[in-house]
Amino acid sequence: MADPIMQRELLSVFRTRRMFLFQCGLICIFAGLVIVRWPSDQHVALSGTRSQDVFRLFAYGLLTTQLLLLPVFPATNIVGEKNRGTLALLLNTPLGPWRIYMGKLLAVLGIAGIILVLSLPAAAACYALGGLSLTGEFPRAYGILALTALECAALGLCVSSFSNSLDEAVRWTYGLLLFVSVLSLGPHQFFQGSEGTLADLGAWLRCLSPYAAMMSILGSGDVAGQGLHSSDSVAWRFTVNSLIVAAGAALATVARLNHRIFDRSRPQGNISDDQRLAIRMLRRLMFVVDPQRRGRGIGWLVNPVMIKEFRCRRFGRLHWLLRLVAACAILSLALTYATTRGTLDWGVETIGGILVLMQVALLVLITPSLSAGLISGERESGGWTLLTMTPLSVYRILLGKLMSVVLTLALVMCATLPGYVVMVYIEPGLRFQVQRVVICLAATAGFAMLLSAAAGSLFRRTAPATATAYAALLSVCAVPLLIWMGRNAPFGHDTVETALSINPIAAALSVIRTPGFQEYNLLPANWWFLGISSFVSLLVLIAQTRRISRPL
Amino acid sequence: MNTNGPVVILEHLTKRYGTFTALDDVSLTLNSGQIFGLIGPNGAGKTTTIKILVGLVRATLGKASIAGADCVRDARRIKRLVGYMPDQFGSFDNMRVWEYLDFFGAAFGIPRRLRVKRIAETMETTGTTYMKDRFVESLSHGMQQRVGVARTLLHDPLVLILDEPANGLDPQARIEMRNLLLTLAQMGKTLIVTSHILPDLSRICDLVGILTHGRLRAFGTVDQISRLVSQRRTFEAHLTGAEQVAPAAAIIRQAIEPASEVTEATDEEVVRFRAAISETDLGNLLVQLVRAGIPVTQFHEVQTDLEEAYMSFASGSGAASAPALAAQGAAHG
Repeated sequence: MADPIMQRELLSVFRTRRMFLFQCGLICIFAGLVIVRWPSDQHVALSGTRSQDVFRLFAYGLLTTQLLLLPVFPATNIVGEKNRGTLALLLNTPLGPWRIYMGKLLAVLGIAGIILVLSLPAAAACYALGGLSLTGEFPRAYGILALTALECAALGLCVSSFSNSLDEAVRWTYGLLLFVSVLSLGPHQFFQGSEGTLADLGAWLRCLSPYAAMMSILGSGDVAGQGLHSSDSVAWRFTVNSLIVAAGAALATVARLNHRIFDRSRPQGNISDDQRLAIRMLRRLMFVVDPQRRGRGIGWLVNPVMIKEFRCRRFGRLHWLLRLVAACAILSLALTYATTRGTLDWGVETIGGILVLMQVALLVLITPSLSAGLISGERESGGWTLLTMTPLSVYRILLGKLMSVVLTLALVMCATLPGYVVMVYIEPGLRFQVQRVVICLAATAGFAMLLSAAAGSLFRRTAPATATAYAALLSVCAVPLLIWMGRNAPFGHDTVETALSINPIAAALSVIRTPGFQEYNLLPANWWFLGISSFVSLLVLIAQTRRISRPL
Repeated sequence: MNTNGPVVILEHLTKRYGTFTALDDVSLTLNSGQIFGLIGPNGAGKTTTIKILVGLVRATLGKASIAGADCVRDARRIKRLVGYMPDQFGSFDNMRVWEYLDFFGAAFGIPRRLRVKRIAETMETTGTTYMKDRFVESLSHGMQQRVGVARTLLHDPLVLILDEPANGLDPQARIEMRNLLLTLAQMGKTLIVTSHILPDLSRICDLVGILTHGRLRAFGTVDQISRLVSQRRTFEAHLTGAEQVAPAAAIIRQAIEPASEVTEATDEEVVRFRAAISETDLGNLLVQLVRAGIPVTQFHEVQTDLEEAYMSFASGSGAASAPALAAQGAAHG
């Protein structure tokens, strides 16, 4: 191994026991994906459709596994080195920024390569079923996986080079990849079949997603294609897009790999109260709630931990929350307004589906970043010792922390309610459905919060806590959807319904009668699952918090 | 709460982690307004002692109490009696210094109006008023240490326990921290301070404890500890030429006990020796040197400081007589 950086990166990762367990886990997951779809009856499928079904699920599963597991490696790479002080040593060597970057990129690609190599035995089993070509689906699917790994690695390293903490880097990388791989599919789903700039933009945006490319290669059509067939070469477009994204991210990262990466000015702590009256008035007008005003102190009725949590978050200040709420409210009203004008013939159900998707995406994106670090963040910064040295009980600390998340999520959800109100006004028959959707969303928010907090409390550091919380939540949301994607293949209606009953997104979509989900009756099973899981997560959280608060 | 008698009492405190004994039968007593410096090498058991006192670690054997409150059973009362500053600052992101103190004040249940006053007072005492609008994570290490002390003072605790408060501070900040600790002692607080910066401790501490391998090797005032080490005192004989060093050393070796150390520093024209020797014998030795025709320009004792005492105990040579002094220190407390 010629490159010293790559050698160091790979050695440091692969000689840990955790990595060995990680690899064993991967083999089990890949084997499981094949076994789940392996035909168990006595019939022979001469057309090869069965093996294609098995391979399809396997490929989507492999892609999802890669998207869930790989980003944490590049995301924590540069920022971790920067905070440990080893990046300064590295920049002080004769190795140039490109060589450092390539070493790190190749190391991450090496890990991705290991993931793909570990999947080969399972892929070979699919091939053994017959009906698959070594020059067709196999190389194309693995090509998409390789490009996805490159995109993940480049984006992760780029985010890492701009971040100041591991937690921040992990959060932004997962958020960015969620947008690139899933949310980018959204506009096309609703504009397909129509003409115009929005439709073109949606079609272009869709080609950023590896899922769209994989579906195109495996012959699954478009995401929720609604019977429409796209003649565009999505895989080629994805190839070009991913290479452009990777190249752009590489350039941005290399530009950061110099002494300026350590520049971080200390905020001087300017306060509006000390400024002239005109400036104070202007700031009041611009911010509504001026973040630079001196506070009055925490009121005696309020849980101080809750206020502390809001103050600690970069976006926890009231002016940021107001902006978030305003953006949500405007977006939900705009969507509903578009329907009432009749310019977009989507129907109320489709609009409801968009609203639900937006809300759930927002919840899945925001909640782990809010609640995964509630305990681990304190332990990492040394704040937990200080908190336990105050007369506040463990339960009061926990309540304050959870309330800070609950209030934020409630604000976000309430902001999207005007859209539902307009929807019910247009179609009064939807009132009951909307009520159930709101309950679904509230249950999802509670579940996501408690699951993330419980998963995060098991760690001492915020970065693995956040990554685990995202992985756990995305698994609950993504794995049943993988099974749903194969709903017309060997998976029968009952199997898909059982799988979807643990999925909060599917439950809300089925209630609002979104196409593709209306045939499944997921309530109240989904509410039972969310309720029990939330309760168990709460118990884990309380037990873990009590454990770390006890004298040793 | 009775603050006239002993405030901090440790009785036969022992902490074991499996087979490893982190703290072994430590006993000491501190009165109100005293500054107690706990010193020892890394892993000696200083932080374990402190954590037992603040209720973060439970002792395997023995008892610790502060102002009559048991450190295990009365954990909630201990939190109000003690202001604890750990060696890690415990920063919260995006919080200004005033907000940081406001949070801890609120956590201790201080009503808002009184809290605002207390924050102003503690900031004044610790010299942090000018940084009240700064973000805590942007403060320098020295500034953070002072904010940390301000935080511990908010609820007006009886005892302040500061783990390495001078660690990583520049000389100017160290002097300021030293003065701050003296100010706090004048306010009637009992201070327990751990530090590796021994000259600082020797200047401010009323009592010092030397802890090695979990055992309290010495406990008392700096003078008491120095005297214990000085049972074998160090002397220097300054001569007028390098050729006189060897004969002088030979005479000294004959005069003192065989196991004593005698060092010949030819370049410096000095003979150093370390021995348990009475004042009469010392006078006789000087007479012998002069009679042998060796011109002695200076003949004096080298004063033992805390650093030397520490090194003596850390290396084990002072350990033998430690229990006696520890008992003496306890009586002193």
